[in-house]
Amino acid sequence: MRGLGWSLKGLGRHRLRSALSVAGIAISAAMLLDMVMLSGGIEKSFAELLLARGYHIRLTPKGTLPFDTEATLSGAGRLIAAIRRDSSVEAAGAVLGTSLYSRRNDSLVTLFGYGIQPEAQALYTLESGHDLGPADTTGVLLSLPAAHLLGAGLGDSVTFMGRLDPQVVTAAVGRKLVVRGIVRWVYDYRGQPSVGTVLPAMQSLAGQRIGDHVSLLMVKVREDTAAALVAARLRTAFPQLEVNSVADLVRHFKQRLVYFRQLSYILASMSLVVTVLLIGTLLTITVNERLGEIATLRAIGISRATVVREILLEGAVLTLLGSSLGIVLGLLTARYLDSILTSFPGLPAAFSFFVPRGDSLTTAALVLLLTGVLAALYPAWLAARAPIAATLRTEAT
Amino acid sequence: MITRARKLGGLLLLLVTAGARCLWAQVPAIAIERQLARQFDLSVGDTVSLGTQVDSLNLLVIVGAIYEPRPDPAEIAKRERHLRMHLPDLASLLGAADRVDRISIGLRPGISADSAAAILDRGAYGYRAFSSEAIASESSQTFLVVSRFHRAIAVITVVASAVFLLCIMLLKVEERRLDAAVMRFVGVRRRTIFGALLLEASLIAVLGSALGTVLAYLAGAATNAYYRRFFDTILTFSIITPGIVAFGVVLSLVLGALAGAFAAWRLVRTRPLVLWGRG
Repeated sequence: MRGLGWSLKGLGRHRLRSALSVAGIAISAAMLLDMVMLSGGIEKSFAELLLARGYHIRLTPKGTLPFDTEATLSGAGRLIAAIRRDSSVEAAGAVLGTSLYSRRNDSLVTLFGYGIQPEAQALYTLESGHDLGPADTTGVLLSLPAAHLLGAGLGDSVTFMGRLDPQVVTAAVGRKLVVRGIVRWVYDYRGQPSVGTVLPAMQSLAGQRIGDHVSLLMVKVREDTAAALVAARLRTAFPQLEVNSVADLVRHFKQRLVYFRQLSYILASMSLVVTVLLIGTLLTITVNERLGEIATLRAIGISRATVVREILLEGAVLTLLGSSLGIVLGLLTARYLDSILTSFPGLPAAFSFFVPRGDSLTTAALVLLLTGVLAALYPAWLAARAPIAATLRTEAT
Repeated sequence: MITRARKLGGLLLLLVTAGARCLWAQVPAIAIERQLARQFDLSVGDTVSLGTQVDSLNLLVIVGAIYEPRPDPAEIAKRERHLRMHLPDLASLLGAADRVDRISIGLRPGISADSAAAILDRGAYGYRAFSSEAIASESSQTFLVVSRFHRAIAVITVVASAVFLLCIMLLKVEERRLDAAVMRFVGVRRRTIFGALLLEASLIAVLGSALGTVLAYLAGAATNAYYRRFFDTILTFSIITPGIVAFGVVLSLVLGALAGAFAAWRLVRTRPLVLWGRG
């Protein structure tokens, strides 16, 4: 009997203990896979979200991140014109975010308003109806939650108000707009009632028209690889602004979610320790039980290297069986854990913490396999140094 | 936005020593949090310029106090730095005279916060009233999610530990095959062997639990020390309560005893010759 067959037979002799070990390794493998997915998934998912519409750079008021504060930039038109003059820039658009109000029956409805430039926007995808034209100051786009909240559909007219004044019990600015389309806002959290108009209309509603204020500018670069260079150029050209490429924003985001990344490293390490202990203990006891058999094999001419290889192979087989089960288990638990974490308030609905990727699966599998083989080193060493004559004599008595 | 006004420090100091008390009194004072003071190397009496834009840092203010911010788990990851100003000074700086983000209301004893909020909401236009309890409930959503995540991870860990424990106990008891065979040969009853093995498994579980408890306290202390330093806060990140210790110990004892009993039961059911390896 050779190689794999010998290993499988060895494991098959003690089915219960082998099954328990495989189960233990499977749970550890599942945990390891989940944590590998968590540690890389946050970064990948956030980068994908930011690049959903192909815009590489965000410009915000100095010291802030997009929509992190209510701070605004002034002179947006002038800034956009200057940015568009850069030959590496394919498109640049401004966005203003603000609170808006509307009424349904007797209730006041609070909404989130986006002022966008339809010719250069990276915030939504159209689901039904028509997009806004650059000069369409009477049209509005609604998210599905906003449409439900307002009870409005395509073609309906809705009055929106900005800057409510409690003292005079009236809105400072009100405007009747026609629903042109239903859109999915890329960065909205689940159920967020958002509406969008062209930038000047939203600036008027928010009282930000004078000074041409916006929340952020978004820039699309012609070549993906040039994004960092263009960001550096913009940083020099506009020192009063915070310029962040997608990579910069991912770095900031990672810093905020550092807890989850560190937790994933700790739990992944613990999973590996459990795997090492399980495989190491099982194989050590198995080797001790089979010392007589090993000594017999050595006595009939089987080399020490072959015995060591067989023990290492047994560790690898155990790990492979556990890992195969663990990958299935890991993908299932990842979905459950992701459903918990994505219920964070204010988190974009399109965001995921656990992203299954080929490279994360491969990394987890390779690390586990290596761990299994390493855990088998000690029992393999025990088997290799077993004294042949003494062991056979002991077995005979 | 805050920057060091290095060049202005000496000039203002000169004015003060010249007795320009009235001018000094017109400079607003601010309170800054300890981390901000350390980040910019500021101390009480320093002058800084503030503005809403980098190119309009026009307001000169004096650091009047440095305070330790109240630990807030919702804020630590953002690493934002805060300062406090008198309301009119901030309103003037923002060009938003007599506008505020929120108004806090203290109620007389016996008045229900929810009823008061409902009454205020009925007459409201442009604001909404919340009781402190409602705000606390809303703002604790993030931590409820984290707590659910921790519970889910804990369940996976408990399952993994249970399997691990069962496996180790099985191996540990099976190591005693020869001992059990000899005992059976010399006439020791199955029940006695079972009891001895169960006792041994329970002792291992007790020792493991004790070691685990010590490890948990050490890991908790290390976690707190690390994250307090990492986030520069006095928040407590890991709390090991007697309830948690009791749960962990009882669970491991029960699992250990069950695993030991199962393994011992398998052993005593096997014929002595088989245990001896000759069956």
